[in-house]
Amino acid sequence: MKVGEYEVPEGLYYTREHEWAKVLPDGTVLMGITDYAQKKLHEIVNVELPEVGAEVGQMEAFASVDSVKATSEIYSPVSGQVIEVNEELFDRPELLNQDPYGQGWIAKIRPVSQEALEKDLKALMTAEQYAKYIEGLESRA
Amino acid sequence: MSPGLKRTHFYSFHLGKARMGEFAGFEMPLWYEGIIPEHMAVREAVGVFDVSHMGRVAVEGPDAESFLNYVLTGDISSLRPGRSSYSLMCDERGGIIDDVVVLRRSSDAFLLVVNAANRSKDLRWLAEHAEGRDVAIKDLSDDVAMMAVQGPKAQDVIELLCDKPVSGLKWHSFTEAHISGTKVMVARMGYTGEDGFEIYIWDAPVESPEKALRIWNAILEAGRDFGIRPCGLGARDTLRLEAGYRLYGTDMDENTTPFEAGLSFAVDLGKEGFIGREALLKEAEKGPDKVLVCLKLVEKGVPRHGYKILGADGHEAGWVTSGTFSPLLKCGIAMAYVRPELSEPGTELLVDLRARRARAVVVKPPFYDPAKYGRKRRAGT
Repeated sequence: MKVGEYEVPEGLYYTREHEWAKVLPDGTVLMGITDYAQKKLHEIVNVELPEVGAEVGQMEAFASVDSVKATSEIYSPVSGQVIEVNEELFDRPELLNQDPYGQGWIAKIRPVSQEALEKDLKALMTAEQYAKYIEGLESRA
Repeated sequence: MSPGLKRTHFYSFHLGKARMGEFAGFEMPLWYEGIIPEHMAVREAVGVFDVSHMGRVAVEGPDAESFLNYVLTGDISSLRPGRSSYSLMCDERGGIIDDVVVLRRSSDAFLLVVNAANRSKDLRWLAEHAEGRDVAIKDLSDDVAMMAVQGPKAQDVIELLCDKPVSGLKWHSFTEAHISGTKVMVARMGYTGEDGFEIYIWDAPVESPEKALRIWNAILEAGRDFGIRPCGLGARDTLRLEAGYRLYGTDMDENTTPFEAGLSFAVDLGKEGFIGREALLKEAEKGPDKVLVCLKLVEKGVPRHGYKILGADGHEAGWVTSGTFSPLLKCGIAMAYVRPELSEPGTELLVDLRARRARAVVVKPPFYDPAKYGRKRRAGT
């Protein structure tokens, strides 16, 4: 779905800090930043990725992105272990602007357990909820 | 946008075209298309900036020269009419109250251009110290519009519109002229490192901005074939940082002296009786405790205000005051205070990016190759 100029794909989970999470068929979680986030940050020029193997908690800052103007923390939408990072972003941080839900993915996380994942997902927003959330942010701006 | 923010003469142009943000109590354009294309337009062609948020203060009267010699660190007596100079206003401790540009309009009429955030503080300071002198201090900020046209093609654009040739105008000189039939002052100066002009539009109250907007639009129109772009404060900041220009409130404040900030060129210690001289004489003798340096990262990462600087040995050595990604060099650059012994160009330091440390080297500003970019570039490059 679309909120103003912002794409909010259905089937993903969302954080209040504008990360998305997608549960893959193998039970791992792919994550990145939303279209809203990349449009607000604009011109992303650098990404600091977590170490593969790092253990992260839900909503723990584990990466950061730099626009020309500012550095923003990226929070892990679920708890688990970082099993892969998008190394393509080292040379092409602009992928975060160009394709935030696709080629601009940031990390893949293996949840601690199915129960832990389900608990984490309950704390996240659905596309409908996130769409309302950013609509609210926009109307206050 | 929080309520109560001030707007400049050019607000109606920005609205709907620019990402707006708060700066020094003003609602200002941060960028239109993006910081990088706007930055590159100024380095390679020409850009136009709304700088009406800055304060413009008239200082006039028989005692204007002696008064400015008292409150500013530079020698005003040697400033001829039609010339301008960068100067500092210091307190008794030698702390920097503001950095200003002073334009001498006649033997007893000056215009001070001050930082937006310092407008009321400066006016208070000036009024306090003018007591007993035959000098009038008047805030013209809301009656004079101000824009900057910057870049290697700035002169070409101005010459298309100006009733006077400006090619002979020297750096830090200005002249009265007309642009599109409107009386303006054209000053050759800027804050980007490039050649350029600041245009002062008189009798332009902020409530009736039509005259100022006409000139703004005429310049954009005249510059179209040169690739002109309106530029926001984002590019203004990356451009000044690449050029090695300090920003008040970020790189220096009242707890910083001109020697620490690397601005001793603006201090004339031979001049008697200016505020802060005794303290600055003492500091000149013993040397500053910290020194502002320019740092270029030699690996990935973008330094930011407040990040720690470490010596190559890992010991704490200072802190970053300004940092950004350089659109021209495509790497992180910064200004930082370090211990004086670590300030020599070529010194290797570390920037604590929090998640990791990045190697950096002290460089002499500007960050770019002055043969290829900046106002002293070789013709034809």
